[in-house]
Amino acid sequence: MFQIRSKKNKVVLQIVLLLLTIPYAIPLVQMFLGSIGGIGFLNYKAVWDTGVVPIYFRNSLIISAGVILLVYIFSMTAGFGFAKLHMFGKEVFFWLILIALTLPEVILLSPLFVTFQKMHMFNTFWAVILPIAALQLPFTILLARNFDSGIPDELMEAARIDGASVFSMFWYVILPLTKPIASSIIVLTLINSWNAYLLPLLFLQSPDMQTVTLLPQYFQGEFTNDQTKILAAAVLTAIPEIIAYLLMQKNFEKGMSAGALK
Amino acid sequence: MKKNKASRFTKINGLPWILPAFVFVAGIIYYSIFYTFNLSTLDWNGLDPIQTRVGMSNYTKALSDWVFWKAIKNTVVYFIFTFLIQNFLGFIFAAILHTEVKFATLHKCLIFIPTILAPATMAPVFRLLFSPQGILQDIFDALHLGITVDWLAKPNSALFILMIVAIWEFTGMSFILYYAAMSQIDKEMLEASHLDGAGNFRTLLSIVLPNCKGTTVSLAMLGIIGALKTFDIPYLITTGGPNHATEFLGTYIYRQGIRQSHLGYAAAISVVLLVLAICGAILVNRMNKGDEK
Repeated sequence: MFQIRSKKNKVVLQIVLLLLTIPYAIPLVQMFLGSIGGIGFLNYKAVWDTGVVPIYFRNSLIISAGVILLVYIFSMTAGFGFAKLHMFGKEVFFWLILIALTLPEVILLSPLFVTFQKMHMFNTFWAVILPIAALQLPFTILLARNFDSGIPDELMEAARIDGASVFSMFWYVILPLTKPIASSIIVLTLINSWNAYLLPLLFLQSPDMQTVTLLPQYFQGEFTNDQTKILAAAVLTAIPEIIAYLLMQKNFEKGMSAGALK
Repeated sequence: MKKNKASRFTKINGLPWILPAFVFVAGIIYYSIFYTFNLSTLDWNGLDPIQTRVGMSNYTKALSDWVFWKAIKNTVVYFIFTFLIQNFLGFIFAAILHTEVKFATLHKCLIFIPTILAPATMAPVFRLLFSPQGILQDIFDALHLGITVDWLAKPNSALFILMIVAIWEFTGMSFILYYAAMSQIDKEMLEASHLDGAGNFRTLLSIVLPNCKGTTVSLAMLGIIGALKTFDIPYLITTGGPNHATEFLGTYIYRQGIRQSHLGYAAAISVVLLVLAICGAILVNRMNKGDEK
């Protein structure tokens, strides 16, 4: 964007960039330094020896996988329907879904709290998977619909002439072509379900059902405010996310930005 | 929202494709919304078999509740500051990283990593960082500045610290969106601007910024809804305190509904929150359309 000729200005720009970026690194440095305070790396051993870290990770994985599966299936089918097929009052249905985009999750708390209690759904993964998926879907359906609208009808028509059913048209034409938006939807859903805090906090009360976002709280109880162990747990939680991001940078960046580029 | 082009396949019935997803979303979300409307007219603790119908009194109670207004005020302040600073920084980062600089990927990763880390994971880090035991205090001590880092405990500064955390967390989002928007700008337009003798800042202001307008509008929309949804950061770092100084609608709903079992009152505030979120979204959408004409 900038046109820079002189050597001096190049150095100035580089320094400006460095100064602007340093504040973004400070919390990460604090996280690491804090986690090796006191007994150093033994904090990690203490955290690991409690045996709960893998359990929390497993729970987060189960929940994320469940949410991704639901979101993927429903956004792909509904996106296809909204973009290409006929339905009475289709626009109305679409707008009803769009309005749900603005819904803050905290509104779900009281209704679901009371309802899940009645249905004995407390402490089940469903109590977290279902609402997270429902909150995610309005957005991902919008993404899928906009992407599907750009697929030329001719491609589907060719399949139609060959005698393909609507389902095989979806399976052999739409699904392969929607891979780019599907990968964005999956990454976005993964980040949002992995980072979900409020719903697990409320609906998963027993420790063997809880998720990684609740780890700091668990260790607050376990190590009575020994900050170093809490931070060691935070580092252990952050590392897989950072590695996943570094391995799939492009996918993450596209996933996060997909929404605003409608 | 762009209109859907008529497709030649409009004769095929879309019902089986759309209905399952619609029933799923509406079943949870609209069920909850109607349930909340109903709850908001009750005085109920969630367990008691007796529910007292109180009409609109939960709403009038909110209007005269200073904490409710404090939460609204905090949301507005939070939106204005985070929107301006976060997008300014994101825009500058995008412009710099579109120029030839060294270690571009490293910088990009550092700016983007905060957006993928859960606020729940980072909350203990920020509580330490902004406490006298954190490294900020060490830095200030080493420089003999005589500053005590106790900002989270003070009502006047706690909200600003939370805004810094939010900006840290979401600059990556603004950055990546502006970065994508800037890739679309015609290189020749920039060349022409430079040839006309416009300096870098002039070009940035009069060519690049207007060309990123769509992105700015999207970010405004995300920002308004995000500010109204704010929960994790204040709940985990200050739990809305000290003395409600960092209370947001989300944290107040949680406090009233779940902690204190005033489900009716929490539901009334939830309804207000939902109405504000929808109005905010419509407003930004309108402003955008008005400008396009």
